[in-house]
Amino acid sequence: MKRQILILASLFAIAAMVFAGGQQDTEEKMILKVAEQVPNLITPGSWDGQAFSLNGSIYDYLIEMDADTGELVPALATDWSTPEGKVWTIKLRKGVKFHDGSAFTSADVKFTLERTQDPDLGHLKAQDFEILEKIETPDDHTVVITLKEPYPTFNFIFTDYNMAILSSEYDYVSKGESAPMGTGPFKLENLIPKESALLVKNDSYWAAGLPKADELRIYFVPDIDSSVSLLEAGQVDIVPQISPVIKRRLEALDGFKVLSPYQESRFIAMAQDREPFSDNKVRLAFKYTMDPEILAKACQGTLGKEIFYNETPIVNGLAQYKEIPFRGRDINRAKELLAEAGYPNGLTVEFFYASDHPYGTDIAQTVKELAAPAGINLDLKGFPRDIYLSQHWLNGPMLLTGWGVRVDPSMLLMLAYHSEGPWNESHMNNPRVDELIEMIRGEVSPQTRQGYYDELQDIFQEEGTVINLQVPYLVGVSNAVKDYRQPVTMLPQLKYATIE
Amino acid sequence: MDFLKRFGKRLGFMVLTMIAMSFLIFFLVEIMPGDVAQTVLGQSATEESVAALRARMGLDDPFHLRYLRWAGGFIRGDLGESLYMRGVQINTIFWRKVGHSIILALTALLFYVPLSLFFGVLAGVKAGKVTDSIISFFGLATMALPEFVSGIILITIFSVRLKLLPITSIIPIGENLWQNLNILFLPALSITFVMFGYVSRMQRSSMITVMKADYIRAAILKGMPRNYVIFRHALKNALLPTITIIGMNMGWLFGGLIVVETLFGFPGLGSLTMSAIKTRDIPLIEACVLFITFIFVLSTFITDMMYAYLNPRIRFKRGDV
Amino acid sequence: MKNWFLQFKQNPRGIVGLAVLLLWIFAALAGPAFLTHTYTGMDMESQLTGPGVNGHLLGTDALGRDVFSRIIYGSRSILTIALMTSLLSSIAGIIIGFTAGYFGGTVDTVFLRIMDILMAIPPLVLSMVVLGILGNSTIFGLTIIVSLAYTPATARVARGALLTCKGNEYVDAARIRGESHLYIMFIEILPNTIGPVIVEITARFAYSIMMIASLGFLGVGLQPPTPDWGMMVIENKSLILEAPWTVLYPSLAIASLVIAVSLFSDFISKVMIHEN
Repeated sequence: MKRQILILASLFAIAAMVFAGGQQDTEEKMILKVAEQVPNLITPGSWDGQAFSLNGSIYDYLIEMDADTGELVPALATDWSTPEGKVWTIKLRKGVKFHDGSAFTSADVKFTLERTQDPDLGHLKAQDFEILEKIETPDDHTVVITLKEPYPTFNFIFTDYNMAILSSEYDYVSKGESAPMGTGPFKLENLIPKESALLVKNDSYWAAGLPKADELRIYFVPDIDSSVSLLEAGQVDIVPQISPVIKRRLEALDGFKVLSPYQESRFIAMAQDREPFSDNKVRLAFKYTMDPEILAKACQGTLGKEIFYNETPIVNGLAQYKEIPFRGRDINRAKELLAEAGYPNGLTVEFFYASDHPYGTDIAQTVKELAAPAGINLDLKGFPRDIYLSQHWLNGPMLLTGWGVRVDPSMLLMLAYHSEGPWNESHMNNPRVDELIEMIRGEVSPQTRQGYYDELQDIFQEEGTVINLQVPYLVGVSNAVKDYRQPVTMLPQLKYATIE
Repeated sequence: MDFLKRFGKRLGFMVLTMIAMSFLIFFLVEIMPGDVAQTVLGQSATEESVAALRARMGLDDPFHLRYLRWAGGFIRGDLGESLYMRGVQINTIFWRKVGHSIILALTALLFYVPLSLFFGVLAGVKAGKVTDSIISFFGLATMALPEFVSGIILITIFSVRLKLLPITSIIPIGENLWQNLNILFLPALSITFVMFGYVSRMQRSSMITVMKADYIRAAILKGMPRNYVIFRHALKNALLPTITIIGMNMGWLFGGLIVVETLFGFPGLGSLTMSAIKTRDIPLIEACVLFITFIFVLSTFITDMMYAYLNPRIRFKRGDV
Repeated sequence: MKNWFLQFKQNPRGIVGLAVLLLWIFAALAGPAFLTHTYTGMDMESQLTGPGVNGHLLGTDALGRDVFSRIIYGSRSILTIALMTSLLSSIAGIIIGFTAGYFGGTVDTVFLRIMDILMAIPPLVLSMVVLGILGNSTIFGLTIIVSLAYTPATARVARGALLTCKGNEYVDAARIRGESHLYIMFIEILPNTIGPVIVEITARFAYSIMMIASLGFLGVGLQPPTPDWGMMVIENKSLILEAPWTVLYPSLAIASLVIAVSLFSDFISKVMIHEN
């Protein structure tokens, strides 16, 4: 008897559990629900501060980018000008308040910029801002920046996701991870680290009529692909950074669509400063084993439609891009080159990559397969992304790294392909390349600049150390979401989004 | 008197184990390669800044000092500050997740204990017959499955075919676990599979042993109804060893939670541990692993005490019974 | 011999277990020779196609790789590592456990306490933490670490086995003869404890398979493209609604192997206990 009761009770509990749960939203508020990858750190500028939905909503930037045209749009800065690229005068928006009520002034901009040079922070933009000579704040709404040398496209850097404007009076060191605060369209109401964030409309936001939604709920999920089931269940509306296989699934369902707001690059870097890639013949041999069509299929896309391949770091969406036809896959040529370089029996190279980054394992395994027939044996070494970045990147003989597109490619060139660039993952050391990069930086005339870009891309094709696979950045959204904007800066502009 | 002595001894051993374990865990995690300061600052950080951060984090202090600092804080209930997420107190994120995991563990318990006991007894009573074969095989099969395999099978049934439950779940903002009990179902069921096999087999063999005892056979021979004998006499004694098994498995269950929570994305201690390892957040790793160990040791201790209490031979030890 | 036949007849489950295990061993050793596809070959015409399509027996994964080939090839690594782990942990356990049981006294108490303490961390947690922090796993690394995690348990079993034999006459006889401790432990006692030892090895084998599959699932398994069954499950988990075969078949492979080894281990245990 007791036994039967126990069983009945258990069955009842089970039934209750299966059908319990799920709250109905009966309020009239417009609520956007986003699922994002669990961020490691969220303070802007921190080494892996990739909480884009969160940071794009809490903070503002001096300059924003229009998601459709790519043009620069004033945000916290209303005007910027420079005579020759060395001295920049920036006018700031008046009447803007931080979420804690304090006023936004030029002191905050100065603080944000100087913070990049703080050695204790390891700010991602530290090297970019080394060019700063001094920052002056003649009044509360003007900032005058003097650079060490002219840099005509310097203003682009203010759109970077790391350059959220912070308050000079707020302690981000101890509160940045638990109670971040900015001037943005949404205010952080509650943050459970690594679990969820609740943001509410900033009623005193400087842009009239924005944000359109009343509330923003961000869920941090460890497995972003599984969160697609949350999308299907209606528990979230937007899932950024899904992998291409999930895209196939969503497109087959009713009520959902996949957006690709922009492209990202995946660079395969061959280290020039050591064997075997110190010999350009070996680099060329590797390039001859590539098959862009297969690579595109491995990324669940079609070459020429969503996926693009080239051997320079300039992506095809940019104005500076020069069309260079693919050399074609030629295993015999590859073997010849290897033999000429002293590797008649092939060679083995360690290939490092981040295993939990979209496309990472797919590309690495495909590349290994493609290179094998020529005798190039790639020893795959995948690591979780932060271990990869902190221990193996910049150190390995061959690397696969995801790079966001820099709207101004000169920034990327300076960082990664100048022999003294701090992020020169392929240890490229070519005097003419250095020269060209420096000239591009300081050149005011766009036509002359383009000439340099062309020459640069030709050099990359012949002797370069990089293979550039362009892959789409994918966002899964429910059809009820309207006006989701995410420009190439990677920051979703959720202030414009609405949901029915 | 003996019971108290045993209690004291066991308690002392538990404390000793915890101290030794804390030392071991601390040591193990600290000697691992990978510099957390480097991870925080990234690769392009200069040597000086990494060294400075290490000094600020207190990573350069001698080993025993760091250990004492950590252990001392722990005892006071202060789990320390997350090394990776500076400024975030581990306490704020830790206990919430632990709570979720405890609820999950208890749910699994609620599922598997009645089921295992019932079927174990049934198999024992009908030993050698078809019913027994079926139950035993089922028990062996489920015991052999790693939790994530049973989890996948469950997902295939409930999410893919029946479309009853989602493959991953969140607790909507503003709600707590109690309002979302359906996310417990599949994870708890996965754990149940493994536990069922183990416990039902134990219960079966214990039942068989007891049924063979003289006083049982005597009672049956005397003409008492078989079922009455089973329920009134045999069962009580057969349950005792099973209680031991259930108790011990509580600790083991916590270890298995890591797999289950990862599979279902359940926001508990298991996923927190995974996340901590990925970011090499040393204080967080230490807190998680130490806590799991603590539950393990505690459950062994409680089980042992319960067994001693319930077993009249030990409780009322006056020489031979 | 006759005894064995009788045992087998009385325990059909044991036969089934052994048969499946042998099947997997055969698959591991000779299987790759029969495969129509390689385990890394990417058939870009058939990405995520179902079982039976385009000549892929169990379908393909997102990169067009044949699931069947990957499973067959994956059986090699899991069997190798599990076997090595069970042997290594058993050997280490025997050495430690025998020493403790044999010498008794303080040595034994100390050993016992240390083993008890080490057993306080669930082996999966310990292995996962160590491997997770190390960042990436090799066959060697996995074997060593899982063996270490299991040694306290095997040591206890070994100790128990030795204690049952310690009082026997042949031990005393050997002592009187003046044989060394090592001799007594390993030449006299070990053969007589072979029963429980073998049972322990087979049981450990089953646990090791589960452990390695679980570690693969948690992301600390062998590097791609080596087909680690556990990793195959986690890599394709998000595709379970779209391409369930990529997850289901590796899971069933794991299940069948573990169940087979468990059945076999169960059977061995019955036989050995029967004999003793």
